[in-house]
Amino acid sequence: MRSSTILWPAVAGFFSINLPAALVLLLSVVIGLLMVVIFRYTSNQKAIHVAKEQLKAHLLAVRLFQDQLPVVLSSYGRILRGTGRYLRLALMPLLIVALPLTFLILQLDRYFGWTPLAAGQPFLVKVKANTADALDGISLQLPAGMTSTAPAIHIPSENEVVWRLVAGKDGAYELNVAGGSDAVSKSVLVSTALERVSPERLHAPYWERVFVSGEPTLPGGAVQSIAVAYPPRTISFLGWEWNWIWLFFVLSLAAGFLFKSILGIEI
Amino acid sequence: MKGHFSTGRRRQRVVRLTPALLFVLVLMILAPTPSHAYAGPGAGFAVLSSFWTLFVAFLYSVYAFLTWPFRHLLRLLRRRKSYAKAQIKRAVILGFDGMDPELAERFIQQGKLPNLAKLREQGSFRKLRTTFPPISPVAWSTFMTGVNPGKHNIYDFLARDTNNYLPFLSSAEIKGPKRSLKIGKYTVPLGKPTIRGMRRGTPFWHWLGRAGIFSSIIRVPVTFPPEKFPGVLLSGMCVPDLKGSQGTFCLCTTRGSGDKFREGGVRVPIERNGTGLRSYIPGPEDPLGGGAGKELRADFQINPDPRSNQARISIDSQSLNLKVGEYSEWIPVKFKAGLGFSARGICRFYLKELSPEVEVYVTPVNIDPGHPDLPISHPVTYSIYLSKLFGPYATLGLAEDTWALNEEVLDDQAFLAQCYANHEDRERMLFDALDKTRQGLCACVFDTTDRVQHMFWRYLEEDHPAARNVPREQRPNVIEDLYRRMDSLIGRVMSQIDEHTLLLVVSDHGFKSFARCVNLNAWLHQNGYLALKEGKSESGDWFEDVDWSRTRAYTMGLNGLYLNLKGREREGIVPPGAEAEALKNELREKLNGLADPDSGRIGVTGVFDCDAVYAGPYVDNAPDLIVGYGDGFRASWDSVMGKVTGQVFEDNLKAWSGDHCIDPRLVPGVLFSNRKINDEKPAIVDVAPTILKLFGLQLPSHFDGKPWTVGASVAG
Repeated sequence: MRSSTILWPAVAGFFSINLPAALVLLLSVVIGLLMVVIFRYTSNQKAIHVAKEQLKAHLLAVRLFQDQLPVVLSSYGRILRGTGRYLRLALMPLLIVALPLTFLILQLDRYFGWTPLAAGQPFLVKVKANTADALDGISLQLPAGMTSTAPAIHIPSENEVVWRLVAGKDGAYELNVAGGSDAVSKSVLVSTALERVSPERLHAPYWERVFVSGEPTLPGGAVQSIAVAYPPRTISFLGWEWNWIWLFFVLSLAAGFLFKSILGIEI
Repeated sequence: MKGHFSTGRRRQRVVRLTPALLFVLVLMILAPTPSHAYAGPGAGFAVLSSFWTLFVAFLYSVYAFLTWPFRHLLRLLRRRKSYAKAQIKRAVILGFDGMDPELAERFIQQGKLPNLAKLREQGSFRKLRTTFPPISPVAWSTFMTGVNPGKHNIYDFLARDTNNYLPFLSSAEIKGPKRSLKIGKYTVPLGKPTIRGMRRGTPFWHWLGRAGIFSSIIRVPVTFPPEKFPGVLLSGMCVPDLKGSQGTFCLCTTRGSGDKFREGGVRVPIERNGTGLRSYIPGPEDPLGGGAGKELRADFQINPDPRSNQARISIDSQSLNLKVGEYSEWIPVKFKAGLGFSARGICRFYLKELSPEVEVYVTPVNIDPGHPDLPISHPVTYSIYLSKLFGPYATLGLAEDTWALNEEVLDDQAFLAQCYANHEDRERMLFDALDKTRQGLCACVFDTTDRVQHMFWRYLEEDHPAARNVPREQRPNVIEDLYRRMDSLIGRVMSQIDEHTLLLVVSDHGFKSFARCVNLNAWLHQNGYLALKEGKSESGDWFEDVDWSRTRAYTMGLNGLYLNLKGREREGIVPPGAEAEALKNELREKLNGLADPDSGRIGVTGVFDCDAVYAGPYVDNAPDLIVGYGDGFRASWDSVMGKVTGQVFEDNLKAWSGDHCIDPRLVPGVLFSNRKINDEKPAIVDVAPTILKLFGLQLPSHFDGKPWTVGASVAG
């Protein structure tokens, strides 16, 4: 039995919420804290403090000297310049924070972005070829326990061929796709647990693949990409259904603001 | 020089990473997936913060835009009334407290003050008659109200309580909340403290405001508590520190003993605490103590590092490294009472010594201008605005710690560093006010001129008792440097004003030497006017051991002499009327021309009857006689504090070696203007009516001052 499945009842009982929501909450708090700490040590705190204080001063000037139009206008100018200065000061630490955070979020997206397929639930597999002519040479070899529920559909205008499949039971499957002289494979996950999912395998450089795929690149023959239409995951939290990214964004932002106040960090 | 907070220094590494980071950023922006939003909450912080600022600015804009037509119309209507007859668009008044006309003239002649010389040649330079007595709170009150002290009620820094002969601050009264709630050991005050201004009369910028003319007023003395008017104002002299005093410094020291400071400071022990040292800053009275006088404290830790000649000072969650002879920046300090109550202020640390003993000087704890516990500006947000724009700054009325130099806690250099740090803050405020006040009045008073002359006059004189041991070649040109600095400031102001602006440089009084102290209480005692209790030959402070039942006259403060008047003083014995008049005349006769037996020089050159020099509804609060000391003399330190000693005349050995609290005829102030002023004997009381007249306003009938005839030509 997977560890997440073992832990789930205890965690869910403790938080009285579902496991993905509990994990996103936990991760958001930890990452929010880490982020402000990293920001603290990679930024010029004094300069940021001064920039923010001066921005507030220019705002106060608008109020204090409101009857003097030239003063008000010049204060608006200073507010814009001050905002630019503040963003410039915040840019470098934000980039430093963004680098590891991006990779972390990409990894988390494999778990929280998609739901594994359910047993008995039909799903589409889409194979993209390099040319429309190559479509006729592409064939799909199904693993045991997985069946096709409809004939393949060729879409020459998109260089695509689409199958509708269904898996009889939970498990990690390998679809084999033959195209011309090449034979490539794609993983398919059928499960009810929170597991790592790779929706697509494609032939592309690392920086393009990293955002959508958790598998190695295809060799680059007739088959350009194989996509499995996993259903996107939504997370229930406080009565709303959230895309995990937005939930993470809001919660980590809140945690960051909380920790910045506690730790006295200028952001 | 300033100390610094320890901050993360990763800038160099950051610079090396820049190309890689920029590459990632570009990639994230260009990547054709939703993942470009993955910059995550970090970007959210920056975006939210700047968005919030811009959003608030936008709201202000909408508000300003919607209300602008009405406000503009109102302003036009008001201005039509006021500016219709105005001869100037803007008046800029630079108040240089204590600038002396004779010294200014001397330095101009020597070619050291080119900008004042320019004003004198192309505009005007006059001696400016001061007030009776020539003391800053008195003179500046007259400056702003256009009336004599009998109408504004300020006669000295101190006034006396006729019920107990004790002094109180003449300018403002601060009282705790009337009601309180007892919770266990705490007495919780219900409500805020009340602050009552004691100065009467209306500052002339209020008259301008009523006519729709905006004013920016910075650090003019006796403007605490700040009054509401159409403009902005930062209070000056008489703003208290957080303890409620006029400035109490603190010397934290490992030295076991030391004399108690005469005034203005306290000595606090530094105690060993593990590997470091521990001390505290005395704060205000515990607001929950129910008036029991328990003092709040802010503890701090000192970790000396003798090898690098510096120490690390930690207070609250802050820490700073200070070298010996170095000041810290302004540090926020919190004094915690119980139940979540606290008072917060700001102070600066100065590391005096690390070996063999450790000594740290802490400035008086100033009211934090960014979070003022008492209002120090109008509107309250003005002090906050300045604090956010320029950082924390000194708010104490007497911000330059003359007592610390007097008590030799600070040396000359440390004192000057403190003065000029404050001065630079004030300059920044002035230039911001000039930028913000393109029409109307901009007035700013600089105290540096007064404090530096008080403390360094000793170097100007060959034989001043306070500098007899300092060879001529070792005497710094502090006062000349001071005048040069002020001249430079004037030059910079002149470069920012146009031909429609009137520039006035005024001082409230001049300066003279203070070489000899006169204990008038001792003289009164020796001449049978003041009696001590049986067996006593000297009194303590504030008339301790004075026998009031046999005392006819006494003195306290700098120039005031009081009769012990029956029906007014609690134990008064002099009947009012003819007998009191006769006593006044007798005292005047005897004191006038009082000579110093050591040199034969005249110590008292004039004694003035208050009935002759004052007129107004508050004359009853005035001293009965104003004593005008001669050049080189002043009331002794003991006499000011109501103490009777054996000697009438004695040397003044303190660094406080120049003064102006003497015969007002000897210490006129200066008046420089960028326009011709035709009056030969202008007085400080004339400033208010002159400004009102130049802005085309009707003069209030109660004014004592007369407007000058001001020409149109401008020194540029």
